[in-house]
Amino acid sequence: MISALAVDKAVSTASQFGVAPAADHTQAALALHGVGKRFGEVSVLDGLELELAPGEVALIEGRNGVGKTTLLRIAAGIITADRGLVNAYGLSPERDARAYRRALGLLSAGDRGLYARLKVRQNLEFWAAVAFVPRAQRGAAIDRVIDRFSLEELARRRADRLSLGQRQRVRLAMAFLHDPRLVLLDEPTTSLDESGVAAVSAALADLTERGGTALWCAPSGLQSTLPVDRRYMLDRGSLEPA
Amino acid sequence: MTALQELGGGVLAILRRDFRIALSYRFRFVNGILSGLFSLTLFFYISRLVRINQFDSADAYFGFVVAGLVILQVLQSTLGTPSTSLRIELVAGTFERLAVSPFGAVRAVAASTIFPFLYALTLSAVMLVFASVVFDLPVAWSTAPLAIPAFVLAGLAFVPFGLLLASAVVVWKQNTGAAWVMAGITLIAGFYFPVSLLPDWIEWASHVQPFTPAVGLLRHLLIGIDLGHSAWSDTLRLAAFAAVLLPLSLGLLVAAVRVTRRRGTILEY
Repeated sequence: MISALAVDKAVSTASQFGVAPAADHTQAALALHGVGKRFGEVSVLDGLELELAPGEVALIEGRNGVGKTTLLRIAAGIITADRGLVNAYGLSPERDARAYRRALGLLSAGDRGLYARLKVRQNLEFWAAVAFVPRAQRGAAIDRVIDRFSLEELARRRADRLSLGQRQRVRLAMAFLHDPRLVLLDEPTTSLDESGVAAVSAALADLTERGGTALWCAPSGLQSTLPVDRRYMLDRGSLEPA
Repeated sequence: MTALQELGGGVLAILRRDFRIALSYRFRFVNGILSGLFSLTLFFYISRLVRINQFDSADAYFGFVVAGLVILQVLQSTLGTPSTSLRIELVAGTFERLAVSPFGAVRAVAASTIFPFLYALTLSAVMLVFASVVFDLPVAWSTAPLAIPAFVLAGLAFVPFGLLLASAVVVWKQNTGAAWVMAGITLIAGFYFPVSLLPDWIEWASHVQPFTPAVGLLRHLLIGIDLGHSAWSDTLRLAAFAAVLLPLSLGLLVAAVRVTRRRGTILEY
């Protein structure tokens, strides 16, 4: 269920994202209903249900290979569910693909996704352009995430010369750069030091303060100081409150 | 921003990205030029060594083959680069980022053909000037500027084949076809020798693709070699190939992305 507090917060702050508040105040920031996905004989998700309200942060835990990344990829619209319904703020990842992706920030698992030969700032400039950040706002948006994730000294360094933790900071900066309303983070604290984890926490707090929503995944048993409003365990294809 | 501005901004971003990456490899352009110049030199001496009945003189064959080598650059850029770049993006994980961007994976793949094409045009111009200055190649300077729009038209007619190979990479994750497809095209489209030398049973293949008219037209504009028919007929053939094949290849790429999203294999490599 969506909490009334979260909905009020979202409606009052939606204009900060440059969008009109939704007419339907019960509209979920992210809704997955009856979602199923098989890879060959293996059923990864089986009738999964999840609904997040604007302003919420949810954590999905689970053992390795249980389907957390598949769930995030389906929520991001990268892969399609075999069955069930996926939408964010009433948008379908297939029917409203461009608007859906505009609303979405994604941190994928691992350390890939940067152009090795480009400098950090050039990677951010590229992402800002293909994420359709208006040209006049790009510089400020890039400066903001550089500041948020302490990338000042790395901005002119090539991506292939970064440590794993530094790469993770750049990848996180890309996930938040275009002011997404919904942020999906796959193991966001991987390789981060304390200040890196604090930067993610601050970015999430800033996001939810403006009515945005986040869903992040982590292996079960991981101790983390990132903010969480709701916690789920993914097991045998479905979610249980943890 | 309007949809057109967003599209233009995305295309420019891809172009700037590819330019910056190319610039980061300091000797890439030099390597490309040296490789082209060595090919020209090799064929200059082959033209002195081999007598081909179809040509009046060694210079005539050299002019013929220089134009073929120049157009080969464009063929390689439009046919081979999209699938190769896509493989690199998949392995580097940057394709995932493009797939979740509002600009989108299909547009990104299509836009990534632009820089290699411009790069090939530059290399082609350098090769032509070198052949003219060093080997006294009689370039048809009066019609050579018309070769630029002709190159663009040829690029638009060639690139659907590159997009088809890219679609195959999306679905099957392999980029093994480009090399032999390109080798086959150079044989049937008259890059190194006239298509009239081909055996009768295969000569038909030189008339059912856009490469032969492109090579003939560009050879005519760059070197002044007589086409034996109106240049407009080749121009129209190229335009027709581009008009039919471009939407078809883009549609197939869209379908390839959709199918692999459904299968869940889109990010595999």
